Amino acid sequence: MIAIIVLGLITFFLFREGAEFFPQNLQNLRLYRKAGLEYVGLMREQTAAHATLNRSLQDLRVRQIMAMLKAGKTQEEAQAALAEFDTYATQFDAAVGDLRSLVSDLTDEVTAIKEKAKIHDDALEQREFLLKEGKKTEADAVKTATVDFKAELAPVLATFPAYTAAVATLKQNLEVVLEKPLTLPVHEYQPRYKHFQNAVRAYLKTFPETEEKLKNWRADAPVPWWRSLTSFLFGTEWITNSFWQDWYGILPLLAGSLLVSIIALLIAVPLGVCAAVYVSELAQPAEAKFIKPYLEFISAIPSVVLGFFGIAVLGEHIRQLTQWHALSWISAFPIAERLNAFTAGALLALMAIPTIFSLSEDALNSIPRHFKEASYALGATRLQTILRVLVPASLSGIVSAVLLGFGRVIGETMVVLLCAGNRIAIPDFTEGIGTVFQPVHTMTGIVAQELGEVANGTLHYRALFMVGLFLFFLALFINWLAQTVVRKYKISIG
Amino acid sequence: MPTDTLTSPAPDLENPFQYRRDAAHYGEKATLWLIRTGTYLVLLAAACIFLQIGIKGSETVFTTHWPFVNTAFFTEKPSTLYVFEWEGKKHELSDSEFRAFKAERHVEDIPAESYAHSAGGILPCIVGTVLLVAGSMTIALILGVASAIYLSEYARPSWRMRLIRLAIVNLAGVPSIVFGLFGAALFVVYFKWNISLLAGWFTLALMVLPVVITSSEEALKAVPQGFREASLALGATKWQTIRTNVLPYAVPGILTSSILGIARVAGETAPILFTAAYVVRDKYPWEVDRWVDFFFQPVQALPYHIYVVSSKIPQNAYTERMQYGTAFVFLAIVLLISLGSVLLRIRLRNKLKW
Repeated sequence: MIAIIVLGLITFFLFREGAEFFPQNLQNLRLYRKAGLEYVGLMREQTAAHATLNRSLQDLRVRQIMAMLKAGKTQEEAQAALAEFDTYATQFDAAVGDLRSLVSDLTDEVTAIKEKAKIHDDALEQREFLLKEGKKTEADAVKTATVDFKAELAPVLATFPAYTAAVATLKQNLEVVLEKPLTLPVHEYQPRYKHFQNAVRAYLKTFPETEEKLKNWRADAPVPWWRSLTSFLFGTEWITNSFWQDWYGILPLLAGSLLVSIIALLIAVPLGVCAAVYVSELAQPAEAKFIKPYLEFISAIPSVVLGFFGIAVLGEHIRQLTQWHALSWISAFPIAERLNAFTAGALLALMAIPTIFSLSEDALNSIPRHFKEASYALGATRLQTILRVLVPASLSGIVSAVLLGFGRVIGETMVVLLCAGNRIAIPDFTEGIGTVFQPVHTMTGIVAQELGEVANGTLHYRALFMVGLFLFFLALFINWLAQTVVRKYKISIG
Repeated sequence: MPTDTLTSPAPDLENPFQYRRDAAHYGEKATLWLIRTGTYLVLLAAACIFLQIGIKGSETVFTTHWPFVNTAFFTEKPSTLYVFEWEGKKHELSDSEFRAFKAERHVEDIPAESYAHSAGGILPCIVGTVLLVAGSMTIALILGVASAIYLSEYARPSWRMRLIRLAIVNLAGVPSIVFGLFGAALFVVYFKWNISLLAGWFTLALMVLPVVITSSEEALKAVPQGFREASLALGATKWQTIRTNVLPYAVPGILTSSILGIARVAGETAPILFTAAYVVRDKYPWEVDRWVDFFFQPVQALPYHIYVVSSKIPQNAYTERMQYGTAFVFLAIVLLISLGSVLLRIRLRNKLKW
């Protein structure tokens, strides 16, 4: 009885705190449009893209210096060899100057509008509060200055010709820069420069599109209600406490959680199933008597202790391991961050192994004896019996054990909070094996980290509850899946 | 004579049933060894953790002279560590010692590096953890045993029962951080208990409830049906039967498995992050003005303390002492509890036979 009530209560209260998120977020998004932040945001994107290109140029410079120093040149020689490159880089950087100053002016303007709108909302709220308390005179004393978005935005929109001019100069400058042939002092990096040129060309191609978008942009275009939901579920950014705009998109967190869990399962599933097979089929009775309680102990290690171990010992050891010369052929090595998805995943694997082990072992033990006997009678060896008869027969149990292990791993908080590196970004999956060594942030981690710091009832607070709600349903779904697997694919033993 | 062939068989004929050591044989051997290595790899990894924390932690917890245990570590509050040089000698003093040191030498200020939480002991954390565990297990046992009795003795199988069982199973799979969020929403915000012992108790109790319910139910089911029938035949009511003839025999089983619940309650950090735990409290939990305040005060807890000292302060030789010491004490407590549960279970299995 109580269980249902508790489950109901959990759902209800998470909803109660979380549901307000959607209207609030919608308001937030509407304000984003009304105050013209979206408009300027498009331009900001353009300058940001330029900045990214610029950074890659700087990166190229650093790499060249490193390569030259390695080749035995002195610092001065290396700098001198890069003189041509440096003028090129400066030119590239300066190209965006006009646009950048325009954008920074506009940024100030629209954030001011947003600030005004906020003050207005706060005043309204205060008045309402006072009215509720029955203090009418005080309520009237609260001044509310309605923000006339249209009038406020007019000067911002009026800068469109200035924008087109700035973009035109940018385009011109970049084209000049592109035409200039540049030979790098370190020849191995010439392809990278080619790559850079291509990126700039692609960047230039986006200009008309942005301009078109800006032209067609309307401050009074309605923001549909479902945008609030989609911006949460499919939003690629989780940015809080920024002067510009807060975004609450769950994707980076979900991606981080999944990455860590997959790493953990990749380690834990083979080992856990191995251990189960070993203990139930191969081990001596004394061995089994020792291993089973031992694994139970492992499952009793508190997660925060594992997390501490990851911070204090494991992270550093993994980094040192990747610095070994013997491993330098792996492109991702040596790794930069001590705390990353792999460190957390490895520790989580240790937490998942006992779960996977005990459930798989139960599944293996529940197979009737005569399955094994029949297999041996046909002349099969031990390994053949295990791989062809026992494991397939208990597969549904093993799969559900893996699913429950997955549930445990994705809901685990302290290890990922301490060891995953806590950088909110979707992992860059193009890096091959380096992907697993990137720091990530997870759903559980973000709730644990940020809930203590936010005020009750704010948008941020509600967003965290939405993340919790999402986790809750994810856990229920995984549980349901595990149960279904057991029920549906259980082979008939008769 | 043909007898010659009977006594000595042809030497070049092989026994066709003899075990052949070919590639398949070695392949099988190798795979079996791979499985064995995998298993022991897990054990080795865990042993590394136990040893690392055990060795480094025992440096803090134990001393080389009488009484061999670092009593200050167990009887003091955490405080800030000051590291400084004075007249050519290096000093490492805690907050109060540092102030006394300055007062003694009549100096206003000594330039010192300070490390928060790195000096003193962990008494408040131990006390807080004990309080949290005791309270939440009491609540969980009352609720859990009550619902287990209902489920195993009174309930008839129906769709409602199935739903309840499903809810229990699912409740066990809910992440602990979600329990923390829920506790924050219901107890801390809605009931306005703020961050308090009471909120922590209920949050943790609800978290272990599935464990307690399932294990209590199993213990009740293990009591033979004959006990109930005998009692009912003598004219006892159903409740009398349960009270006198079922519960007493199930109590050992219930207690044994709830020790596992204790280990889980003591080990969890996420649910108490925003329901019960504070980083620092000046007062001990029993130093309250009114007795009701006792329930509405936040506490320090061991797992939260480990979280704080491992994430909020840098890693170096000075802070290591506190970090490893706390982790060691905590790990030792939790492992001892689960060791106790394992031993009790073995004893119980041997003792109770119907």
